[in-house]
Amino acid sequence: MTETRTLDTGSVPERFARGWHCLGLERDFTDGKPHAVQAFGGKLVVWADSQGELHVLDGYCRHMGGDLTQGTVKGDEVACPFHDWRWGGDGKCKAIPYARRVPLRARTHRYESVVRNGQLLIWHDPEGSEADLEALPPVLEGVGTDKYTEWTWNVIPVENAHCREIIDNVVDMAHFFYIHFAFPTNFRNVFEGDKATQFMESTGRPDMKAQGYGDEDLILKSEATYYGPSYMINWLDTDYKGFLTKVILINCHVPTGPNSFNLQYGLVVEKPEGVDEETADYIGRRYAEMFGEGFMQDVNIWLNKAPVQNPLLCEEDGPVYQLRRWYEQFYVDKADIEPEMVERFEFEVDTTKANENWRAEVAENLARKEAEDREAEKAKA
Amino acid sequence: MAYIVPSSPETLADRELYTRSRLVEVACLDCLVRVKVRKNSDHHTSIQWNQEAGDCATFAELSRREGGRPVHQACPRLLASIEAAVREGVVPIGAGVDPIETSDG
Ligand code: FES
Ligand SMILES: [Fe+2]
Repeated sequence: MTETRTLDTGSVPERFARGWHCLGLERDFTDGKPHAVQAFGGKLVVWADSQGELHVLDGYCRHMGGDLTQGTVKGDEVACPFHDWRWGGDGKCKAIPYARRVPLRARTHRYESVVRNGQLLIWHDPEGSEADLEALPPVLEGVGTDKYTEWTWNVIPVENAHCREIIDNVVDMAHFFYIHFAFPTNFRNVFEGDKATQFMESTGRPDMKAQGYGDEDLILKSEATYYGPSYMINWLDTDYKGFLTKVILINCHVPTGPNSFNLQYGLVVEKPEGVDEETADYIGRRYAEMFGEGFMQDVNIWLNKAPVQNPLLCEEDGPVYQLRRWYEQFYVDKADIEPEMVERFEFEVDTTKANENWRAEVAENLARKEAEDREAEKAKA
Repeated sequence: MAYIVPSSPETLADRELYTRSRLVEVACLDCLVRVKVRKNSDHHTSIQWNQEAGDCATFAELSRREGGRPVHQACPRLLASIEAAVREGVVPIGAGVDPIETSDG
């Protein structure tokens, strides 16, 4: 007799991860207005100066706490709606129109920011370190040129879950079958330094074809890497009966509170040869819808599941504990990062048993469906 | 207390079990790398590198190539070395890390 197993729900972390966080597309911040972004338990203000350069400050004015996101952009500065103090991108108050001078201590929290691949990223570190430019995600060759469609961008607020839930997906082979109706045939992980990668090959599920999930002729090769704690680039190559599509999907998030986050995703499609602009954009939008549905399938699970510190694993599961050990590096002081958190780790999931069982399940579903259709046909006759 | 802290000591034991147990050292037959390996089945492989593992010659070669992605999948030579170690019986293929049921249990 073995004992009943209990779930250890653990505690919510008291801090937010160190690293680059993406706040959205550059183009969405350049309209000359201040923008509000919820992040790290508070609110940030984002605006573009007269040169079009983006700046990010804490959203609340250090004078009397006015909400800078409801202010206006005046010249290069953001002006507070309460008493018009002007804040510069360097975090200093540049002018107080009704005062003789600006107090020396008029300095607010600024976030270092970089625009990369058309997206705004900011550095966050509770220890206040300088931004680590080495840790930025790579420049995506050709993105932003004619070769690719424009970024799509969507945000899904997740009100009641810690963002580690989405990190866990990196190793979760089986959920792709049950939640996303895909059929993974090959699944590997590599964690090293501040990167965590999932390599997956999968096909569609023939029993879900009518729901728009493709069939076994849809072959997907996916390589997805987290660059730091929150920003994943997913290279997706699909082959449907010889029609090849190359998609680059960004899956990133910003924690908004101790137990909530904004999930964001955007993608570009490499324009297939001989396909006009409009069609390429249409393909991009269709993929965006499809991945949007996929993320909602995850969100519905997260909103209802219990947090688990001690998952019980079977042999066909991915390396959840090693992934979380990797993820922990972003939540401890830099000096406290243990070698194990960053040492290279590789894992190949054995999909043979899963594939065997799933093939049988799919066949059964198809047979049942066929029988139902025949019944319906008969009833009509 | 910065990260998610488990509320039971058994959780730490589980973490230990899943991340550290049943690892066997394997040396690459082509370079000086030494890694820790576990195999639950023919098609499953878990490879733990550490600071003393050394640098993989194949990865170094791949990193020098242009236009590649920064993350490398498994090194084919190391995988061949692991397969050899399995054939020689150095790396046992076993039933995961779960405690085995005992007859009196
Ligand atoms: S509160 Fe911002 S100017 Fe007074
Ligand atoms: Fe998922």
